[in-house]
Amino acid sequence: MYVAVKGGEQAIARSLELLAEARRGDRAVPELELAQIREQLRLGVARVMQEGSLYDEELAALAIRQAAGDMLEAIFLLRAYRTTLPRFGYTRPLNTAAMRVRRRVSGTFKDIPGGQVLGPTYDYTQRLLEFDTVPITEVQPADAALPAHMPRVLDLLDAEALIERIDPGSDPEPMDLTREPLTFPADRATRLQNLARGDEGFLLGMAYSTQRGYAENHPFAGEIRMGEVDVVICPDELGFPIEIGSITLTECQMINQFHGGNGTPPQFTRGYGLSMGEGERKAMSMALVDRALRCDELAEASHAPAQNQEFVLSHSDSVEASGFVQHLKLPHYVDFQAELSLLRTLAAQYAADADEQPGSIAGGAQA
Amino acid sequence: MTPRYNFAFLDEDTKRMLRRALLKAVAIPGYQVPFGSREMPLPYGWGTGGIQVTAALLGPDDVLKVIDQGADDTTNAVNIRRFFSRVAGIATTEHTTDATLIQTRHRIPETSLREDQILIFQVPEPEPLRTLEPREAETRTLHALADYGLMHVKLYEDIAQYGHIATSYDYPVLVDGRFLTSPSPIPKFDNPKLDRSPALMLFGAGREKRLYAIPPYTSVESLAFDDHPFELQRWDHQCALCGSGDSYLDEVVVDDHGARMFVCSDTDYCSGRRVEAQA
Amino acid sequence: MMLAAFADPVFDSQRTFRELLQAMARPAVPRRLPVLPPSPAPVMPEAMAIVLTLCDATTTLWLQQPNAEVAEHLRFHAGLRLADQVQQADFALIDDPTSMPALEGFARGDLRYPDRSASLIVQVEGFRTDRGPRFAGPGIRHTEMLAIEGLQDGFWRQRAALSAQLPLGVDLYFVAAQHVVAMPRTTRLLEG
Repeated sequence: MYVAVKGGEQAIARSLELLAEARRGDRAVPELELAQIREQLRLGVARVMQEGSLYDEELAALAIRQAAGDMLEAIFLLRAYRTTLPRFGYTRPLNTAAMRVRRRVSGTFKDIPGGQVLGPTYDYTQRLLEFDTVPITEVQPADAALPAHMPRVLDLLDAEALIERIDPGSDPEPMDLTREPLTFPADRATRLQNLARGDEGFLLGMAYSTQRGYAENHPFAGEIRMGEVDVVICPDELGFPIEIGSITLTECQMINQFHGGNGTPPQFTRGYGLSMGEGERKAMSMALVDRALRCDELAEASHAPAQNQEFVLSHSDSVEASGFVQHLKLPHYVDFQAELSLLRTLAAQYAADADEQPGSIAGGAQA
Repeated sequence: MTPRYNFAFLDEDTKRMLRRALLKAVAIPGYQVPFGSREMPLPYGWGTGGIQVTAALLGPDDVLKVIDQGADDTTNAVNIRRFFSRVAGIATTEHTTDATLIQTRHRIPETSLREDQILIFQVPEPEPLRTLEPREAETRTLHALADYGLMHVKLYEDIAQYGHIATSYDYPVLVDGRFLTSPSPIPKFDNPKLDRSPALMLFGAGREKRLYAIPPYTSVESLAFDDHPFELQRWDHQCALCGSGDSYLDEVVVDDHGARMFVCSDTDYCSGRRVEAQA
Repeated sequence: MMLAAFADPVFDSQRTFRELLQAMARPAVPRRLPVLPPSPAPVMPEAMAIVLTLCDATTTLWLQQPNAEVAEHLRFHAGLRLADQVQQADFALIDDPTSMPALEGFARGDLRYPDRSASLIVQVEGFRTDRGPRFAGPGIRHTEMLAIEGLQDGFWRQRAALSAQLPLGVDLYFVAAQHVVAMPRTTRLLEG
């Protein structure tokens, strides 16, 4: 005898218990401390902060632990918390030219004022699994301290008027994508906000496609810099700017060839990427996709997925994508029932039509 | 209640934004109002639009019913109900007649709604033209021009190919004679309940960041042709539990040999009928 | 001294919103506003209840008669910005409907986004449901009879002229004597 399925509430409660147990794992192994995650999984923390749109290492570490290391779940946790936070104000634009640089490389000039600075990078690690614990060698002091101010490589080209000039003062006040819906066409500030929150894997794939002929980017890594930048606010009641702390950022400026068009002379153009913490892959991908999305403004042929702003911006967000892909596991039996009876009608009709046509192999009457 | 969050989870600024958008939605029946959808603690695609609408409406005196596929006891419905009991401490019910607010996914209750009730739909894809035209910039223009030729062609092609319209759920409607609107993926069986309903109906699409509304007593016409009128789905069966012959039925596989039985999708309606029959 | 606003901001605005929502869903029917907050003249408490419920730092409000006390009150309690021009206003507060600007002057939205249109809060003298013209449209089962007292001559003619532009339009909240009547752009005044 059929009994209507009941007990959803109990099933959820049991599932949560199982989840808690699975997350904790073997209790003989000590639980991860947030400080361990923050200090030893810092790149994961950076990604969660970046795509979670919240610079808080402690909360990002908490989210990673709670999500058992599932980064997309951790990003979702952080976003759902962030959305409830009241807005006290907006910071001044971050001045990345004044970054206290810890890493800075350029693919465009052999040497640059201030020098190439590798900093902490996986680039030259040779990727051999370190089966034995490697003793930590003390960092040798540098021969000379890094210069306090490092000019941005693109500013050097700017002096020669070879790269497009973007006057920051001329930008309209950006909209806040976390408070207002995305509408099309989206301006560059809005697109960059979307890309900044976008899934690293999605952006990486999109960026890669631009290098393989799906958009004509011709990029050079003009400069990638990572380090600390001061955060400044200017409260109305004070009337003067105050520094409230500093955050780690990775900035990438791509230089792209441009033959001129739409009233713009031949010159190099820019693609821009910015990421919280050490997020070089993300910042580089973002810069490539940003440049590809500028095709309309620069009157370039637009035929590739990475140039289609509706396509890119509507599908970049991992929280949206993950939710909707996975919602398919929710019950759909009402709609399925509707489709089932429609299909039965269609199938019956098909069989009847086939019967009427002698010689039809679908008829089945001869069988 | 979870004290670290505001009543009904959302902060007051967000509720005001939602409330302004909802009022515009009611003022322009069937039109999709863009809104600053927030990340909710449930995943996009799992009812975040409906949840935000409910959170913007909810007050301490409300009695909330949540259904998924017509049933109060499906896990996602239970989870959403649980969420609001936790963040708003409000009363919940499984009885359609006792509810002031009903949040639903994929069904409209069989029991007729009253003027003092509000039905809130969870909507995965608010744009009825989306599968025919993926670009939002284009579909907005088509709505601006009330140019719904694409949809008529699609339905006509169905007729040419199959002899009738092959859309069984999320069947497009024209609201107040102006905006082509998605009724959300309800079976077309439920479409007539949208027309001139005494209850206000609100639709929330969280991931797509759109809200829309069908005010009470508003004309809602399911698209059709003169020679191919809108037709309701019918069953040769009755509900195996309550005997209803006019409700929407779920098909249930009951043994390894594929034997089937049919039962009401609306669990409250079904159990109400059974209680009545016993009395 | 600054007057207070809603005593209980969360629940007072929630209760007010629910009445506004029902008012908009059932046009031309007066609904009693549950909370009347203190309000500096010439703003009626009924109008202030709507402003506090719907407006904040992200919306602009146009005041028919700019008034420093009102402006300060609204800035303090709602953080909202005043609009200098009618066409820039998300909301408009009309305290003297006999001299209000033409409805055409307010934002009516654009065809792709008709929601980007003004909402007008109009302080009137009173409502009568036992006489007056009849209204019909979405939200109204058959017809509703309603007289709105204190509007300027030609108001309804102006509004009817605007209806040719549907779905563009402005939406109205009339307030008087603890009640609100909403009139979305789709509501039609029946002639005769």
